[in-house]
Amino acid sequence: MISYLLRRILQLLPVLLIASVLVWGMIYAVPGNPVAVMVGENASAEQVAAETARLGLDRPVAVQYAAWLGSALRGDLGASIHSREPVLKLIGERLPATLQLAALATLLALALGIPVALAGAVAPNSWLDRLLSGWSALALGVPTFWLGILLILLFAVELRWLPSASGYVAFWDAPLQTLRNTALPALTLAVYVSGIFARFLRASLITELNADYVRTARAKGLPERTVVMRHALRNALLPFITIVGIMTASFIGGAVVTESVFTYPGIGRLLIQAISSRDYPLIQGCILVILGIYVAINVVVDLVYAYVDPRIEYS
Amino acid sequence: MRLPRRILAFAGRLLSQPGPLASVLFLVGLALLAAFADRLGIDPLAQDIAASLEGPSAAHWFGTDELGRDIGARVIHGARTSLITAAGAVLIAGAVGVPIGLVAGFFGGWRDAALMRAVDVLMALPGILLAMALIAVIGRSQSAALVAVGITGIPSFARVTRAQVLSLRKRDFVTAVEAFGGTPGYNMFRTVLPNAWSPILVQVVVLSSVAILLEAALAFLGVGIPPPTPSWGEMLRTGKSYLHDAPHYAVLPGLVLTVTILAFDTLGRGMTRLLEDRDSGASGLKLEQASR
Amino acid sequence: MKVDPVLSVRGLQVSFAGAEGPVPAVRGVDLDVWPDEVLGIVGESGSGKSVTALAIAGLLAGNAQVRGSVFVDGQDVVRASPDELRRLRAERIGFIFQDPTTTLNPLMTVGRQVTEGQVAAGRLARGEAGARAAALLREVDIADPVGRAGQYPHQFSGGMRQRAVIAMAMAGRPRLIIADEPTTALDVTVQAQILSVLARRQAETGAAVILITHDLGVVAEVAHRVAVMYGGRVVETGPVRDIFRNPRHPYTAALLNSIPRLDRADSRLDPIPGQPPMPAELPSGCAFEPRCALGRGQLVCRASDPPLEPQGPAQRAACHFAGEAAAPVRAAARAAEPRPEPTAEPLLIVDDLRVHYPIRAGVLRRTVGHVRAVDGVSLSVRPGETVSLVGESGCGKTTTGRAVMGLVKTAGGRILFDGQALGGLGPAGWRKARRHMQYIFQDPYSSLNPVKPVGEVVAEPLRIHGVYEALGGARYVAGLFERVGLSPRVMERYPREFSGGQKQRIGIARALALQPRLLILDEPVAALDVSIQAQIVNLLQDLQQDLGLAYLFIAHDLSVVRHISDRVAVMYLGRIVEEGPKDAIYERPMHPYTQSLLSAVPTPDPDARRHRIVLEGEIPNPASPPTGCTFHPRCFRADERCAREAPAFVPVPGEATRAACHYPGPLAGAPAGEATSLEAAS
Repeated sequence: MISYLLRRILQLLPVLLIASVLVWGMIYAVPGNPVAVMVGENASAEQVAAETARLGLDRPVAVQYAAWLGSALRGDLGASIHSREPVLKLIGERLPATLQLAALATLLALALGIPVALAGAVAPNSWLDRLLSGWSALALGVPTFWLGILLILLFAVELRWLPSASGYVAFWDAPLQTLRNTALPALTLAVYVSGIFARFLRASLITELNADYVRTARAKGLPERTVVMRHALRNALLPFITIVGIMTASFIGGAVVTESVFTYPGIGRLLIQAISSRDYPLIQGCILVILGIYVAINVVVDLVYAYVDPRIEYS
Repeated sequence: MRLPRRILAFAGRLLSQPGPLASVLFLVGLALLAAFADRLGIDPLAQDIAASLEGPSAAHWFGTDELGRDIGARVIHGARTSLITAAGAVLIAGAVGVPIGLVAGFFGGWRDAALMRAVDVLMALPGILLAMALIAVIGRSQSAALVAVGITGIPSFARVTRAQVLSLRKRDFVTAVEAFGGTPGYNMFRTVLPNAWSPILVQVVVLSSVAILLEAALAFLGVGIPPPTPSWGEMLRTGKSYLHDAPHYAVLPGLVLTVTILAFDTLGRGMTRLLEDRDSGASGLKLEQASR
Repeated sequence: MKVDPVLSVRGLQVSFAGAEGPVPAVRGVDLDVWPDEVLGIVGESGSGKSVTALAIAGLLAGNAQVRGSVFVDGQDVVRASPDELRRLRAERIGFIFQDPTTTLNPLMTVGRQVTEGQVAAGRLARGEAGARAAALLREVDIADPVGRAGQYPHQFSGGMRQRAVIAMAMAGRPRLIIADEPTTALDVTVQAQILSVLARRQAETGAAVILITHDLGVVAEVAHRVAVMYGGRVVETGPVRDIFRNPRHPYTAALLNSIPRLDRADSRLDPIPGQPPMPAELPSGCAFEPRCALGRGQLVCRASDPPLEPQGPAQRAACHFAGEAAAPVRAAARAAEPRPEPTAEPLLIVDDLRVHYPIRAGVLRRTVGHVRAVDGVSLSVRPGETVSLVGESGCGKTTTGRAVMGLVKTAGGRILFDGQALGGLGPAGWRKARRHMQYIFQDPYSSLNPVKPVGEVVAEPLRIHGVYEALGGARYVAGLFERVGLSPRVMERYPREFSGGQKQRIGIARALALQPRLLILDEPVAALDVSIQAQIVNLLQDLQQDLGLAYLFIAHDLSVVRHISDRVAVMYLGRIVEEGPKDAIYERPMHPYTQSLLSAVPTPDPDARRHRIVLEGEIPNPASPPTGCTFHPRCFRADERCAREAPAFVPVPGEATRAACHYPGPLAGAPAGEATSLEAAS
């Protein structure tokens, strides 16, 4: 099992490595002299040269990459061009808000998606199933930024129950305030992802419910509830773990749009700001951290698999 | 060639269902409006500050924006932006992704490993971030949006094609061609590819909606197609600032966007269902289905 | 018998909702099964046998319409509430399914699965479940039942899984056991084990058993009574001896005539023409009329479906001409010409062929060893000759065929075709060589390109080699269709419009297109219905005679092999263990594996229930084969020498065969099979 995990991590390493080359190299793909962009339009040639030397951009490419990767691995992602603050510190300030939102959105999406999938799968093509499938399609089809706007219109503008823009409060300091602040963005994300969850889980449940071992379970006289929950659902949840992992990973950074709708102070909005101000070290840092979290979640998913699927140990 | 007849028959069965039929009608109508937008006598750029932020009326069905421009006209012209971006992006994604999946799945081994690791890199970032990073590098323009969205679609095409090719590769009729002396190239293009088109076609529909959504999201974030070109996402972005005074500004363009995406989704699901029915051998009695 | 039957079925009808109205799958079935009795239900695909079984247990899906009555132990199944049905299944019916690889839940321990039905029904305390599971597994001869109960299905071999399924079916001490093709997915030596376990448990518990199968041999060996199903009805029923000795329905008679026999060396089979009807398109009147030698074209047969009526004391048949069917109508057989011993130079010579697959393990997926899928196989095929490779799954027979065809990489050895070594050929050379060597696949459903009309499928090899026009184009292809018994008018149709037998004919036509001299046939009839197999076997024999083809015939079905072969090679774990002329192999086998294999094949003759060598254990994992002779852990003659050194493959002195065994020799009168309890790696 350990070898299985190590192997999976080894498979992810090249992805990280190639990605890091791309992230590092993006600065060279920018049209014009990136240093000039960084230093500002009014800078003199001397200033540009000094900055180039400071950044080490006059050294051979491979050396530059190695130096950059080395310091990145030591946690030094450089400093923001704008605020001159360390990139890692800026990201560190935003990360808790993003993680909190991702966690809440995943929980909400599971709570919305699993029952919908279950109710539909046990009676495929019934009126209830059609209704719930329609709901899933709607949840998937509504763009998050439009849904966010509608939710703001309803809960903030009309009803005035919840704030339209939300700051970050640590959950442990003020749980209720946290919920108030994250409720709308989390719901916006969760509705969309619950559509994905429901659709995927319904399909895999229907496949499992038609499997031979489910027929065996029925043949030995088990109540239908046990057949569904103990046999079919447990098997259907296996591939579902991957989907949950992918979606949770996509909330980290992928929630840019939602964060932007609710002006939520997450890592996604930091990245937008960095892009619009061409703050390359900050862009690189954000993307690297997001990639790192992606890899970490993949490893967690593999760990969960190794725990719940008895076949893995031997494969 | 036999393919067109098969596709026609498939389209016939697809359009005999109400959902896909309505979707196709809507999408065709939208495409026609977008194509002939210039001849409709509506101007998306004509300003009338006096009549800014007005609600829907007989003169302006969708109301006006902060500069008094007709939102309806801007939605129709925005459809053109959306559909062109989506079509171009899907073309790029398919033209790169399908060959990758075909080669990776057909040959396996190191080609598979190398190609799919490269695809994994594209997958590691959420699509929106990847597109934003690309735009950060290549600058902001309509073609930048198109290319960026297209690149985010490559992994789906590659993976869907590869999965299909892998399952076909194991089928005896592919081995048979090898056994009676067909070259790998012949086998890949003449045997495997003609059998792999259906999931790829579904992917075209699915990705069209993803591309439209992504383009709108980029514009909403202010990194998509630069103004004043009308774009649905851009309208939502601006409209969001006038939620109190003119809710129609954000709501109506968003509604059209949503319906468009739902139409693509309904179409894609209809196709998948038909293909599944066909593959499971709807004719004849299958015990797997009979037992419970 | 004054005892009440355990199962009583009257007028059972099942239909499924179809696109064009209901599709009748079962059309009026009456059955009775008494305690301590095995009823065999025989039929081909679409005969309704499995649907009948599922209906008896109330396991049909919601889209099935069930009419008639089914009483199990006095309880009405058709009208039972879901709760009553559940109790019935938990307490009185045990069900054994076909494919043991999919019938068990992969995420639950076997022990829990065996007893959970009883726990849920409140008939077994949770705390006693573990002990009970172990006891049940012990009763089906699973070694170390306590340890095994805690394992998951993937840790079980196929035969052990099926034992576990039997244990599960027995958990509630049911009065009725329904076994639906319980051994079809298993190898013949494992089938013998499972059938004997099933028979023993049945005798111990006195349960009534319904055994559903397409294999007449299994029925003859196990059943007391037989019901033959065709087109959704029981067409004949009676005691097993009467059915096999004196069939009254023309279908039963024809079926018995159409199967190749292990115990006979017929030169020609009598196939049943046509194919079994699909439930959606049943003919009017008697469903068998279009294929019936007696009733075809008869007005009365077309007009009315005959009822099942008594024929003699215990037998019943549904036929307008039931009396006349008794004398089986032999189709005019093409006289078999005595086959001269071929003396020509071999067309194909395989010498010490080796195919190894790497085993990768560890973090870096490094190759840590090799599966020796084919480990030194030598054989030769002369023009016009049929050489068969037989063996159980995983023995390497298919890999051998594929390696000869150049479809898998070889790790060693030589392949000579017509004197030319194929080993050193580049891709272009292989392509040329393949013109004279063609392959026929097992699964006709998967071997034809679904997007091409079948005319194009057959023409494709010609086009690839650029000889389409040279050989005569469409006219030549039409000729190929006629050659395999199909009308050229069907050339425009797509593969999915054909039945399995027709598809296999198309596959054969395609293989013939380039006028090959050697055909490699990989289980060409295994996926077909029994009555269709004979048609294809006859076609292959005709083609060989007319075209002088050489066949390398790969199969697991020993009866078919006996029928078609000139010489036979028996494979075990990648090696040929015995090889020789057909009659020598079948009449006087020398290798203990050949002997056990032959004795494990059920014979469709109820009087021939013989003593059988039931091999212990199953085929070992080819990745880690046993030392010495790879067969020694299962062998009844093995001693420590066999565990130590591998025997050479040499002629057996004074016999016609060659064998790889330290102690070759004919089976003694009292078979050494008594001493079979050598512990195997199970």
